Amino acid sequence: MPVTPDREPANLIAHAPHDVGGQPEGPVSISDHELTPFEKHCHALLDVLAAHKLVNTEEKRRGVEDMGEVIIGGLSYYQRWAVSAAKVLNEKGLVTTEELGRTMIDVRGRLISEDQ
Amino acid sequence: MSSRYAVGDRIRISARYAPGHVRTPFYARGATGHIERVLDTFLDPEREAFGVNAGTETQLYRVRLNQSTLWPDYSGEPADVLELEIFEHWLEPAPESSEQENPS
Amino acid sequence: MSHEHDHAVPHASIDVDLSDGPDYFDVMVRALQELLVDKGLIGAGEVRARLEVLDDIAPSRGAALIARAWTDPAFKQRLLADGSAAVEEFGIDNYDGTRLIVIEQTPEVHNLVVCTLCSCYPRPVLGLPPDWYKSRAYRARAVRDPRGLLREFGTAVPTEVAIRVHDSNANMRYLIMPMRPAGSESMTEAELAALITRDSMIGVTTAKLP
Repeated sequence: MPVTPDREPANLIAHAPHDVGGQPEGPVSISDHELTPFEKHCHALLDVLAAHKLVNTEEKRRGVEDMGEVIIGGLSYYQRWAVSAAKVLNEKGLVTTEELGRTMIDVRGRLISEDQ
Repeated sequence: MSSRYAVGDRIRISARYAPGHVRTPFYARGATGHIERVLDTFLDPEREAFGVNAGTETQLYRVRLNQSTLWPDYSGEPADVLELEIFEHWLEPAPESSEQENPS
Repeated sequence: MSHEHDHAVPHASIDVDLSDGPDYFDVMVRALQELLVDKGLIGAGEVRARLEVLDDIAPSRGAALIARAWTDPAFKQRLLADGSAAVEEFGIDNYDGTRLIVIEQTPEVHNLVVCTLCSCYPRPVLGLPPDWYKSRAYRARAVRDPRGLLREFGTAVPTEVAIRVHDSNANMRYLIMPMRPAGSESMTEAELAALITRDSMIGVTTAKLP
């Protein structure tokens, strides 16, 4: 379903959606959760990528920001990191879409058969 | 590299709005304040975001803004302040006789 | 089947059915890691090693640092003058290239930390940030309505105390040194550390009372 933005075009670009300081918002939901294994794994991978300068911290952030408000709002924090890493590595030609797609099929198959 | 600004200098944060990866928050653009601290030089994050991992060292500063002049409807106290980190290329000398800031 | 109406009948959107089986993003992270290791871009054990380091880092590190500062005035001055150097002196690895600024709460000024742009946080001394710190509501309101926000955390700041909000938007990271509570004068460093909560080191609350 197409998304109709409710702000005019210049502001959609000039005021990026992640840049929320001062925006109107309600009460803070003072909640926390223990990171899942996926989330810890994702955090560790991005730390390793940053140490190698394969995906530095600013590249990771930029990758998330470029996803735009709808995707940012639709994905969890670490889901966004995972996708950003995939995109930046792809941009650099280090991990292509084809390679990642094929390996994801392999990994999925292995996880399913491990479960059986 | 010597820094252009010193502690206490009155500055204005540039009101630029081009697309890109920028670490100067939207709310601060065009605000007037003063240099609270001169920090070190760091790679320009706007270039780092595109893989430039060397050669862009830029002076970073901490800038103090007065909350009552930053927000049109600020509901706190006159002495409340906000401090954030601004790279040198986002700073300009504050316009003369700017009334935007309480003396600190 | 014929359509008897003039208006278009929308079809359901075509989506991938991922309702069961391995999570799409979990698979993505595993696949990225395999490819990176196979290509020699990262070492085979690096991610595992990093997981272990991350599991070790908790707010207790920051609490120990503050408790030392409360009991050792010379260390306190070093911590306030150069947070990164004092942290390394204390034996904590400030691993991410950021610089730590330690700011003390005073009777005149209450300090609060936020990262409006993302979730910058002094990870080497506090571990990973809580969900609320990363939430849009916290990031939006901490800079514009800090007093209202602090009330939501149960922290009332009198009008004669100024609020100083730190937006951690570039290369600095901030650790707040809460005020040492009255009645703690005879406590050991370890006992003091137990009063210093993570939230008090972000600035949304004060230290616990003895």
